[in-house]
Amino acid sequence: MAREDERRERIVTAVTAGGVTTRVDELMQRLCLFAVTELAASGSTLALIVGDELLGTLAGAGQHSSMITDLQFELGEGPCLEAFASGSPVLLPDLADGAARWPVFTAAATRPGARAEFCFPLGVGATCIGVFDLYRDAPGMLSEDQLADALVAAGIARDALLYLQDPPGHPGVAALLDMAGMDRIVVHQATGMIAVQLDATPADALARLRAAAFQSGRSIYDIAQDVVERRVRFDG
Amino acid sequence: MGEVSGSRGGTREGGNGDDTRRRERLLARAFVRLADTLAGEFDIVEFLQSLSADSVEIIGAEAASVMLANARGELRLVASSEERMRLLELFEIQSAQGPCLDAFDTGQAVQASGAECRARWPVFALRASESGFHALCAVPMRAHADTIGALNLFRGSDQPFSDAELEIARAMAQVATIALTQERAIRERSMLAEQLQAALRSRIVIEQAKGMLAEHLSTTVDEAFQLLNKYARDHNRRLGEVARDVVNRKIPHDALAWQPGTS
Repeated sequence: MAREDERRERIVTAVTAGGVTTRVDELMQRLCLFAVTELAASGSTLALIVGDELLGTLAGAGQHSSMITDLQFELGEGPCLEAFASGSPVLLPDLADGAARWPVFTAAATRPGARAEFCFPLGVGATCIGVFDLYRDAPGMLSEDQLADALVAAGIARDALLYLQDPPGHPGVAALLDMAGMDRIVVHQATGMIAVQLDATPADALARLRAAAFQSGRSIYDIAQDVVERRVRFDG
Repeated sequence: MGEVSGSRGGTREGGNGDDTRRRERLLARAFVRLADTLAGEFDIVEFLQSLSADSVEIIGAEAASVMLANARGELRLVASSEERMRLLELFEIQSAQGPCLDAFDTGQAVQASGAECRARWPVFALRASESGFHALCAVPMRAHADTIGALNLFRGSDQPFSDAELEIARAMAQVATIALTQERAIRERSMLAEQLQAALRSRIVIEQAKGMLAEHLSTTVDEAFQLLNKYARDHNRRLGEVARDVVNRKIPHDALAWQPGTS
C-alpha cells in the first residue's frame, strides 16, 4: 500500500514537472509522454471507449501513436477491446502470440512495426471508460517496475478523467472529444443509416460496415463518409 | 500482565502461546476480509458486523459495536455483536453520555470499569451494569485529522482493559477505518464513472439517431439533428433520451418528420 502511494506520488511529480494543470487533455498528453520516456514504450495512446466502439483518442505520443489503437476499432478486434471488455490488463510481450486470437489486427499492426502491446483498462468495478494503450517496436515484456508504473499511470488517467469531467474554466471531457474525435462521428452516423437500410441493430450495422471496410481494403472512415454522403448503400 | 480477564475467560496475555496464536489468526482473518474491500463488491455493514464479532473474540470482551458519524457529525450505530449492545448504544446516543461519545469527541481511547464508570458516566453506567456490562472501552476511528466514528468494547466482569488489549482495539478500529474510506472512495468513483460512461454513450447514440433519421426521412444528418432537437424540445425531453428511443425504435421515425406549419 505504502509503496503504491510512493509510486503514485513519483509519477504525479514526473507528470506535473512542467507545472500543475487541471486541463484533461494536457494531463493525458503528459501521461502518454511518460509511457514513452519512462516505460520504454515506442508509442502510447489514451482512448475513450463505449461498448466496443472507440469514441476518440484523447492523447497520443511516440511512433504511430494512435494508429495501433485506432486500428482495433476499425477492425473490431484486438487487445484493447479485450482489456476493455474484461476489465483486466492484456499484456502481449510478443504481438505474434495474438495472431490466433486477432489474425486481422495482428497482421495489420505488425505492418507499421508494432511488436509488443500492453493495454490497461480505465475502469472502476464493472464500469470501464477507456484504455491506456502502450506498444513497442521490439518484442519484450515490461519489467516489473514498468508494469507497476503503467498500472498506476492508468489509475491516474482514470481518476483525472472522472474528477475532471467538467473542470471549471477548462474544456471538459465531452468538449475534448469534439476537438479530437470528429473523424469518429461519421462512423456512428453511417451506422445509423445502415441500420435503417438493413432493418438491423446498430451493432449489426457496425459489424457490416467493418466487414465492408475489411473486404475493400479501405478505411472505415472513408466508407462511412461515402454512406453519409449517399454514394454507398448497404441494401442494394 | 498475565491475569485472567473477561467473563468469556481464559484470555491471557503473554504466557499462553495458544491464545497468542489464536489472536494472530483472528487478526489475520480480519485483514483478509479487509483485502476484499479493495476488490469492490462488498457490503460495508456486513464487514463491520463481522469486525465487531472478531473484536469480541480477539480482545476478550463480551460485546462490541461500531458507531459512525453521519454528515451532520451525529453518531449512529452501524454494527454490533449482539442485540443487548444495540439497545445500550441507542441509549448512549440518546442520553448523550458514555465512552463512545467521549472517544469520538476527544479522538482518544477511553476505558473505565466498576466505580470509575459510575463516576464518569452516571446515567449510562447504571444502564450498562443493568445490561450486565461492568468494564467499558471505546477507541476512536481516525482518518487523517478527522474522527469518523468509534469502536466500543464492553466486558461482563469489571476487569479493566489492558494496554495490550487497547492496542489491538486500536488496530481493529484502524481496519474498520480503512475499509470505510476505501468503500467511500470506490462508491464515489463508481458514480463518476457511470456518469461519464452515460455521457459518452449518449454521444454515440445521438450520432446513430441522426443517421437513422437522415436515412428514413431522406434528410441530411444536420437536418436530422434539428428534427431530433425539435422533438426533444416539443416533448420536453432530453436529447439523449429521445436519441436512444429513436435508435431502439421506441419512437417511430415518422413521428419526427417535418410537419409544415408546426414549427
